[in-house]
Amino acid sequence: MNARGGIAAATSTEALTTEQPVGRSAGWWGMVMFVATEATLFACLIGSYFYLRFQHGGPWPPDGLTAPTLARPLLMTAVLLPSSLPVVWAERGIRRGQRWRLRTGLAVTLVLGVTFLILVATEYAEKLREFTITTNAYGSLFYVITGFHGFHVLVGLTMISWLLVASLRRGTFGAHRHDRVRNAAIYWHFVDVVWAAILFTIYLSPRLS
Amino acid sequence: MSTHPGPRARLAGGLLLWYAVLGGAIAWAVHLIAGWSVDELTCAGGSERVGALPLRTAIGLAVVLPALATVGALLAAALLWRRTARTPQGVEPERRVGRSRMLAVVGIWLNLLFLTIIVLGGVALIVLPPCQR
Amino acid sequence: MSTTAASTPGASREDLARLEERWAERPSLRSWFSTVDHKRIGRRYLVTAALFFVLAGLSALAMRTQLARPESRLLSPQEYNQLFTMHGTAMIFLFATPMLFGFGNFLVPLMIGSRDMAFPKLNAFGYWVFLFAGLFMWASLPFGAAPNGGWFAYVPLTEERNTPGLHMDVYTLGLLFLGIATTAASINFIVTSLKLRAPGMSLNRVPLFVWAIVATAFMVIFALPALNVDNAMLFLDRRFGTHFFDPEHGGNVLLWQHLFWIFGHPDVYIIVMPALGIVSAVLPAFTRRGVVGYALVVFAMASIAIISFGVWVHHMFATGLPPLSYGFFSAASTIITIPSGIQIFAWLATMLLGRLVLKVPLLFVIGFIVTFVLGGFTGAMFALTAFDQQVTDSYFVVAHFHYVLIGGALFPILAAVYYWLPKITGRMYHEKLGRWAFWLFFTGMHLTFFPMHLYGLFGMPRRVYTYPDEPGWGGWNLVSTAGSYLLAIGLLLVLIGVIHAVRRGRPAPPDPWGGDSLEWSTDSPPKPYNFPVLPQVHSLHPTWDDASRTSMTEGATDDRILARGRQTLVTSELDGRRERTVEMPEASLQPLLLALALLVFFTALLFAWYPVAVGAALVVASTIAVWLWPPRRPDQELGVSA
Ligand code: HEM
Repeated sequence: MNARGGIAAATSTEALTTEQPVGRSAGWWGMVMFVATEATLFACLIGSYFYLRFQHGGPWPPDGLTAPTLARPLLMTAVLLPSSLPVVWAERGIRRGQRWRLRTGLAVTLVLGVTFLILVATEYAEKLREFTITTNAYGSLFYVITGFHGFHVLVGLTMISWLLVASLRRGTFGAHRHDRVRNAAIYWHFVDVVWAAILFTIYLSPRLS
Repeated sequence: MSTHPGPRARLAGGLLLWYAVLGGAIAWAVHLIAGWSVDELTCAGGSERVGALPLRTAIGLAVVLPALATVGALLAAALLWRRTARTPQGVEPERRVGRSRMLAVVGIWLNLLFLTIIVLGGVALIVLPPCQR
Repeated sequence: MSTTAASTPGASREDLARLEERWAERPSLRSWFSTVDHKRIGRRYLVTAALFFVLAGLSALAMRTQLARPESRLLSPQEYNQLFTMHGTAMIFLFATPMLFGFGNFLVPLMIGSRDMAFPKLNAFGYWVFLFAGLFMWASLPFGAAPNGGWFAYVPLTEERNTPGLHMDVYTLGLLFLGIATTAASINFIVTSLKLRAPGMSLNRVPLFVWAIVATAFMVIFALPALNVDNAMLFLDRRFGTHFFDPEHGGNVLLWQHLFWIFGHPDVYIIVMPALGIVSAVLPAFTRRGVVGYALVVFAMASIAIISFGVWVHHMFATGLPPLSYGFFSAASTIITIPSGIQIFAWLATMLLGRLVLKVPLLFVIGFIVTFVLGGFTGAMFALTAFDQQVTDSYFVVAHFHYVLIGGALFPILAAVYYWLPKITGRMYHEKLGRWAFWLFFTGMHLTFFPMHLYGLFGMPRRVYTYPDEPGWGGWNLVSTAGSYLLAIGLLLVLIGVIHAVRRGRPAPPDPWGGDSLEWSTDSPPKPYNFPVLPQVHSLHPTWDDASRTSMTEGATDDRILARGRQTLVTSELDGRRERTVEMPEASLQPLLLALALLVFFTALLFAWYPVAVGAALVVASTIAVWLWPPRRPDQELGVSA
C-alpha cells in the first residue's frame, strides 16, 4: 500500500475507533499500575539527586570525594540488562506450553541477578572505605538510591525463585495459565530499566561537565 | 468510509486517537519540565547560554516545539470529531463511535487548554528576563 | 433463558439459591475478619473514617475552646502543637480520602454493574492497613508523642535536633504505612473500572462518580510517591543520620518543600475530586435530568488531574525562583480555575434546566456550591503576589482552606451520607432531623470560619496557642468558637440521624430517589452478589432506560447470571465488550495477617527494634508468597506440552 493509502486507511472512522488498549487481564493492569507508581518513586529519588547536586553548586561529588569509577558499574550493567532476555524467552516458551523453557530461562535470570547483587556488595565494600551514608548528602543519595534499587532486585529475584519453585511442580503453569509469569516479567524488566537510569545518574552524570 | 483497514492501519488509528486525547497534556508536561529546569540550572550556573544557544532561544524551543505538538493533537482531535459525526447502524459500532466521539470532545478541549497554558508561558518568556532573581 | 420464576423475572429460584450459597457469608467471628465483600469493606471504611473525623473534630473543638478568649491557659503550647498537627494530618489523610474511598468501595462495583472489585483480597488488605495506620498515629496522642510539626512538617523544624522524641517518627512512619493502603485502593479502583464494567458500558456511559474516582486514583498513583520519598528521607535523616535536608552537609531544606507540594497540591484535588463526583451523582436524582455537558465534566476532571501536578510551586512564594520559571507555573495555576469553573456551571445549568426536589442531600449540595465558591474566591486573591505575602501564615489562610476543604469535601460527603444511606443500610433517614442538621451545620460553619478572614487580615498568625488582646481579635475569636460549637451540634444531629435510621428508619425501597445509575437497580441493601443478573447497559442512565432495565428481568440470559460459581464478567477496556467470566476469590484471613505483620514492622521501626522489623518483613514476604501461590490444575486445562 502506498503512503497516502496508508494514511487514508489509518484515519478512517473504523481505524480511529479501533479499541486500544484491549483484552488485557486485570492482573496485567494491576502490575502496570504498580510499576507506574514505583517508577514515580524512583523518578522522585533521581530528581532529588539532581536537585541537591545543582543547588549545591561547587564540585560534585563534594568534599573532595572522587567521582565514581566506571569499570564495575559497567560490568554490573552488562550482567543485569541482558538478564531480561531469558525471562522473555521463558515467557514465550510457557505461552506455547513448554515448561522446560520456563524453568531454564528463570534459572539463568536468577544466576545473573544474584551475580549483580554480589557485584553491588563488592562495590559497597570498596565505597564504604571512602564514605558512608552519613558522610554528607552525596553519600546519603548514593547509598539510598543504589540500595533502594538493590532492594528491588532482591524482590524481583524473590519473585523469580518463587516462580521457579512453582514451575518445578506439575500443574501450575501452561499455555493457558501464565499470568504470574508475565507479571513477574514486567516487574523484572522494570527493575532493569531503572538500573539504566541509575547508571546514568550516579555513575555517568558526575563525569559530564 | 467503507474500506476495511488492515491491522497496521488499525494500530495507527488507535494510537492516533490517544495522541488526539493526550498529546497536549504530554507536550505541556515536557514544556514545563524542560523550561523550568533549563532556566533554573543555567541561571544557577551563572551563564546565559546553553551550549551554543542563547538561553532565551533554548527556552523558546521548549515553548515552541510543545506548542506545535499540541496544535497537531488538536488537529487530530478535530479529525476524530468529524469522523465520528455520523452514528452507524448496529449496537457495537454505535457504541464504538459514541465512545470515540466523547473522547474527541474531551481531546479538543484538553488540547485547547494546554495550548493556552503553553502560549501563556511563551508570553512570560517574552516579557521577563530569564535570570532575574 | 431462565425467566420462569414469576416472582423475580430474570434469574430463576434455583439460580438465586446458588448465587446466595456462593456469595453469602455466614455471620461469624471468622467471617468478620476474613470478609472480602466490597460492601462490607466499604461500610467499614466509612465508619472508621468517621471515627477518625470525630477525633480530629474533637481536637479542633479543644483548640477553639482554648482560643475563645485572649491569654487563655487551658492548653500548653506543646499540647496545642500536637492538636493542630493531628487535626490537620488526620482530617487530610485519615478522614477525607478514606471516607471518599469508602464510598468508592461501596459504590463503584454497584455503579458499573459488577459483583465485586477486581482484587477483593487486596481491597480487604487495604482496609486493615488503613485502620492500623490510623490507630498507629492516634495512639501517640495520649502519650504526648504525637506529631507536632504541622501537617506539612517543614524541615528544619522537624529534624532531629529541633524536634527530638518520637513525634515526627510517628508522622513519617504512619504516613508511609498509610500510603500502602491508599496506593492499593487506587490500583484497585483503576483496574476495576477498566475491566469489570457491565457489558455495554463503553467509556461514554461511565457514571461521573466513577470517572472522579478513577481520576483521583491516577493522581494518587503519581503523587503519593513524592510524599513517600520525602517521608522516607526525613525518617533516615532523623534516625540514621543521613543529610538530605541538612545544608551543612550538602543537603537542602527546600527539597522537602518541593517534594511535599508535588504531592500536596494534587492532594487538594485528590480530596476534592471524588467529592465533586458525589455532587454529579446526587444532582440527577434531585433535578430529574442528567448532568448538563457530560463530556465537558469528564474533560474538566481529566484536566484538573493533570494540571494539578504543575502548580506546586505556588505554595512556595517566599523561596526565590527566577520569575520566568515562576511564570511557567503561574500559567498553570491561573488556567486550572477554568475546568473547576466549568464543573460549577455544569451543575448550575443542571439545576436551572431540571426540576428541583429539595431533599436533604440537595441542600448539602447547594451548601457545597456556596461555600466552595467563596473558598475559590479567596483562593483567587492569593494569585496577587503582594496580597499573598501579606496574609501568608495568618488566619486568612486557615479560613481559605477550610472553606475549600469543608466546602469541597465535607458538604458533599454529608450529601452522600444522606443520599446513599437507604442503599447502604436499607433504611430511610428522618427528613426533618436532616434539615435541622443541615442548617445548624451550615450556619455554624460560616460563623466559625468567616470571621477568620477578618482577624487574619488584622494580622493574627495561625498556629499560635494563644494571643494578646489586640483590637478586633478577641471578639471575633469568640464568635468563631461559638460557631464551632453550633457546627458540632449540627454534626451530632447527623450522627443521631444515622443511628435513628439504622434503628427505627422506614425500610427503604430499592430506588427511593429515582436515581439514574445502576446501584439503584439493586436491592436496598444490595444482595451479597449485588446483581442477580448482571445488566447489559444501553445508555448513560441505565436505571432510567427500559432496554437496560429489562436486560436484568425479562431479557436475562444465563451468561449474565453466572450462578455456577463465584463469578463476574470481564469486559474490554474502552467499549465494554464482553470478554470472559472470571472466578472471584473466597473470603480469607491472609489480608488481615499481612496487615498485622506490617503493623508489627512499622511499630518495630518506630521503637528501633530492628531485629523484630526484619522478622516482620519476612512474615510479610512469606504471606504474599502463599497468597499468590498458583492453584493446582490438570495439565490439559493448563495446556502443557513438555
Ligand atoms: C469540622 C470543623 C473544623 C474545625 C472547627 C476546624 C478548626 C481548625 C483549627 C482551629 C485549626 C488550627 C488553626 C491554627 O492554630 O493554625 C485548624 C487547622 C487545620 N484544619 Fe481544621 N477544622 C475543622 C474541619 C477541618 C476539615 C474537614 C479539614 C480537612 C478536610 C481540616 C483541615 C485542617 C488543616 C489541614 C489544618 C492545618 C493544620 C496545620 O496547621 O498544620 N479542618 N482547623
